[in-house]
Amino acid sequence: MTDRFPGYDVLAKRRTPSWNEPTRQVVNRRLAVPREPRFLTSDLFVVLDAVCQRIVPQPKDRPPVPLAALVDTKLFTNLQDGFRYAEMPDQGEAWRRGLAALDEAANTHYQLGFAKLGGEQQDDVLRRMESGELAGGALGDMPAKLFFEHRVVLDIVTFYYANPTAWSEMGYGGPASPRGYVRIGLDRRDPWEAAEAYEGDDAKARRENGFVG
Amino acid sequence: MTNTRPTGDVATAFALISGATVLGGIALALRKPNAPADRAQTTVRSARRLNRAAGTLAASVLVDSAIEHYRGNFHNKAMITPLVTASLSLAASLHGTADGRGEAHIIRDLIYAGAGLTGLVGTGFHIYNISKKPGRLSWQNLFYSAPLGAPAAISLSGMLGFLSERLRDNPPNKPPTILGIPAGRIIGAMTSLGLMGTVGESGLLHFRGAYHNPAMYLPVTMPPVAAALLGASALGKSHTHRPITRWWLRATALLGFAGTAFHAAGVGRSMGGWKNWRQNLVDGPPIPAPPSFTGLALAGLAALALLEDHPDD
Amino acid sequence: MSADPFLADPFVEPRAINGRAPDVFKPGAWLEMSQYDDNDEVDFVVVGTGAGGGPLIARLAEQGFSVVGFDAGAYFRPLEDFASDEIEQQKLYWLDERIIDGANPIRMGGKNSGKAVGGSTVHFAMVSLRFRPEWFKSRSQLGYGADWPLDWREMWDYYRRAEKALSISGPVNYPWGPHRPRYPYRAHELNGAAEILARGAEAMGYKWTATPLATVSAPHGDSPPCVYRGFCRFGCSTNAKQSQLVTFIPRGIAAGAEIRDLAMVGRIDTGPDGRATGVHYHRQGRWRFQKARNIIVAGYAIETPRLLLASANDRYPDGLANSSGLVGKNLMTQANQAVFGVMDQEVRWNKGPPSLSITEHWNYNDNKDFHGGYCWMAQGPLPVEWASIVTGSRKRWGAPLREEMMRYNHQVGLKMVGEMLPDERNRVTLTDEVDQYGLRIPRITYSWGENDKALIQHALGEMHRSMELVGAKDIFRQEDDTNHLAGTAKMGSDARDSVVNADCRSWDIPNLWICDGSIFPTTGGVNPSLTITAISLRTADRIKALANRGEL
Repeated sequence: MTDRFPGYDVLAKRRTPSWNEPTRQVVNRRLAVPREPRFLTSDLFVVLDAVCQRIVPQPKDRPPVPLAALVDTKLFTNLQDGFRYAEMPDQGEAWRRGLAALDEAANTHYQLGFAKLGGEQQDDVLRRMESGELAGGALGDMPAKLFFEHRVVLDIVTFYYANPTAWSEMGYGGPASPRGYVRIGLDRRDPWEAAEAYEGDDAKARRENGFVG
Repeated sequence: MTNTRPTGDVATAFALISGATVLGGIALALRKPNAPADRAQTTVRSARRLNRAAGTLAASVLVDSAIEHYRGNFHNKAMITPLVTASLSLAASLHGTADGRGEAHIIRDLIYAGAGLTGLVGTGFHIYNISKKPGRLSWQNLFYSAPLGAPAAISLSGMLGFLSERLRDNPPNKPPTILGIPAGRIIGAMTSLGLMGTVGESGLLHFRGAYHNPAMYLPVTMPPVAAALLGASALGKSHTHRPITRWWLRATALLGFAGTAFHAAGVGRSMGGWKNWRQNLVDGPPIPAPPSFTGLALAGLAALALLEDHPDD
Repeated sequence: MSADPFLADPFVEPRAINGRAPDVFKPGAWLEMSQYDDNDEVDFVVVGTGAGGGPLIARLAEQGFSVVGFDAGAYFRPLEDFASDEIEQQKLYWLDERIIDGANPIRMGGKNSGKAVGGSTVHFAMVSLRFRPEWFKSRSQLGYGADWPLDWREMWDYYRRAEKALSISGPVNYPWGPHRPRYPYRAHELNGAAEILARGAEAMGYKWTATPLATVSAPHGDSPPCVYRGFCRFGCSTNAKQSQLVTFIPRGIAAGAEIRDLAMVGRIDTGPDGRATGVHYHRQGRWRFQKARNIIVAGYAIETPRLLLASANDRYPDGLANSSGLVGKNLMTQANQAVFGVMDQEVRWNKGPPSLSITEHWNYNDNKDFHGGYCWMAQGPLPVEWASIVTGSRKRWGAPLREEMMRYNHQVGLKMVGEMLPDERNRVTLTDEVDQYGLRIPRITYSWGENDKALIQHALGEMHRSMELVGAKDIFRQEDDTNHLAGTAKMGSDARDSVVNADCRSWDIPNLWICDGSIFPTTGGVNPSLTITAISLRTADRIKALANRGEL
């Protein structure tokens, strides 16, 4: 995957008027999330970690996002969504059953635990869940498809895109208060926004991104 | 109905405005009294005053267009033009203000003519810009696209400078004329029109600001009166002492500085205040814009002096 | 937790206590606030402080009534509490569990409910539109839905008052409907996404305009102009947004109203004469009872019927105000489908309010083969929401997801707000599960009707065409989204088929009023908040008139 915003780091703005104090605290807390599981058992946490790596394979050259720890923390603090599908158990129970079911399916098809499979094989098991092929067993009466779409993908992806690593790689301006934006029209960029690299002008974008702050 | 408690920023505004007004008043009071002198001297003095007026306008345009075109990322190379011409016009005006000779200066002349032309071309650019925007000539585009009235300010600066040079061209000891018309009249009339144009621009932008502060009505009420009084002077009997016009023009000149103070206070009360200057200086009320009224009022005063010094009827 | 009292966690202890409430405009400052005793029989208890409750709290207090406003949520200080963060700011949403089912379950949360003083106006997108006049008589004039017992000309005047009170920034001329007076503030500058909408509309020959928004384009009182930070739906940390929290609530407090934050009302009691006597509420760890002469329920389309149903007693076994059997029924949401694409240009749609331009073409054009109308607006989802759209609509995960997310700055989209028709099968009921207060959790059942589906398909086709005409590439549709709510306590002119009358007064219990989106007989094709505000202002005037005649 090519870096479209070379040299851009949204954290360079942390001490500028783009970040207010509550934002600094929130992002600090998120980056400092305990890496050990507090809700899931360590066995299931290993499966979760493997799932996270398949759902969002992370860039090599930016700080890794502790996705499994963030999902575990969501369950530990019971941060809710505001709704629950009638056919779904509560989120903690759903994750416990779902991860166990992935491990179960990995054993059925590959005679290995999910975390021990190769990437292709893990994707295959995940696709079986996505298509609704998995049923019963550890899942109980929980629909696999709904669990995959609504819990697996949404919970993991949500936490990835709530992190500076993701904001930087996608060239997103990130937090913005009290300073917002001045140049809001098409093809306009404020000096505190990421510069995109177009064909052959990598160096220019990198230089401009060095001034973002 | 509304929440309009004064805040610290409003207090700052009043302090700044009072300060600016007092300073301006002192400056006016300290000026040398108008000693009656021979005609050649009064003509040159008026020309120098026009240079000063042109310079004030040029300074306003220079800073204002720098900020506005910086906002536009200078995405079109031509956007550097007003900065160059306004700088040149400013330099020529400083030179002219210091120049006591009774003849036109070819470089200044060229610069002023160039400034006048730049304004016209700029207006064309801005019209073209609006014509490409969805909605075309709509309130939305008048508010937020390239401002139609802004380039005219550099033209006005060029015009005042050009008139100054024509004034110097007059033979000594004869009532100065420009194109055969008594100089005071033509300068007064052109300045009066310039004032009305600037009122239009300020009225449009203050309408965009919903006249949220009653003081925003000042630039659409005081300068029109000044323009009317000056126009009446330019067209009316010349052999008349006009203290009301003079004081009204002086007040309008002060208004320009007071406007800057108001706008600075406006920047200060925007979110993040001065700490967020990279946003608020650009997005907030334009600090360098109001002195264009000062420049025009100074030109009006010069015209008035010419009318009084050289009665033609 | 910070030692600084004003940075203390707003969820731990109520802030509006001991005769003072937060001054949202000044860090650490407080407003003096009246305080009533539970045993004081106050003139009005208002349950909910959003678009329905807020204006009533302020107007009733200004008219001299004693008023206590309850909100289950926290009393935020936007300048000090609001982060620029999509997850942290979920603290503004009603995230307590609700069970959803039906063929098209409504996902609850940020898009349709708020839990804060100021209600969901603290995180709404500020779109402030008027109904098309015919919608107040859609049954008799347009042939669907139900008639409102309100006259559009009267509403036009209350819209004007609502727009003034909220300092709406809108276009100089609004291109649809009867004349409306000039908006108090001028429209905002269009961002790239809004310009794309405009270009698409012009290519289709449709009119468009800058959207009237409740965020100021110039200073107003202590509100600075909008800085286009783009986190509108996650709380405005500058107070440019004219939410209830910074408009009617401070007005109400100045006029003598009391606000009780972190106060969940769980039950309304009635006396031997059948009239309501007060509310049970949970605050600071215990249940209390506030006596009142009148009770106004303004909890929106889920919490309002939930409270009425949960207050069932021997005299009213089916719940309060429910002799028609309609409490909880006719729940409506609005279609919120979208079409997205990629532009060659950098759009950077996260800058500025998300919906800076709009076309109401299909709200005012009846040449179509379904009932109801819709508008569409420019869009600017932030990364987390955008990721959820890409995963939900395109089933992306893994490397393809990250690849697609990299195009964020070039992405553009149009999103509809479409009218769904009332249907008694779409409803709110109570389950046997209980929440943290020990109150029964609501169940929300929703299925789209054939007309709803036709309207959605029509809109998707139109928005798709618009995206093609502006040269967007890799266009895709988000087919399943919904937003605002309405219905569940319908307003009408007959006690047999409605819950409240034109004055928002319940037919069954004369001192019980309902004033929020739940009284809508139909929902129209525009965002509902301005209409709720206008009705709330009207109700305050009607209450005063009734009081003057001794008819309360």
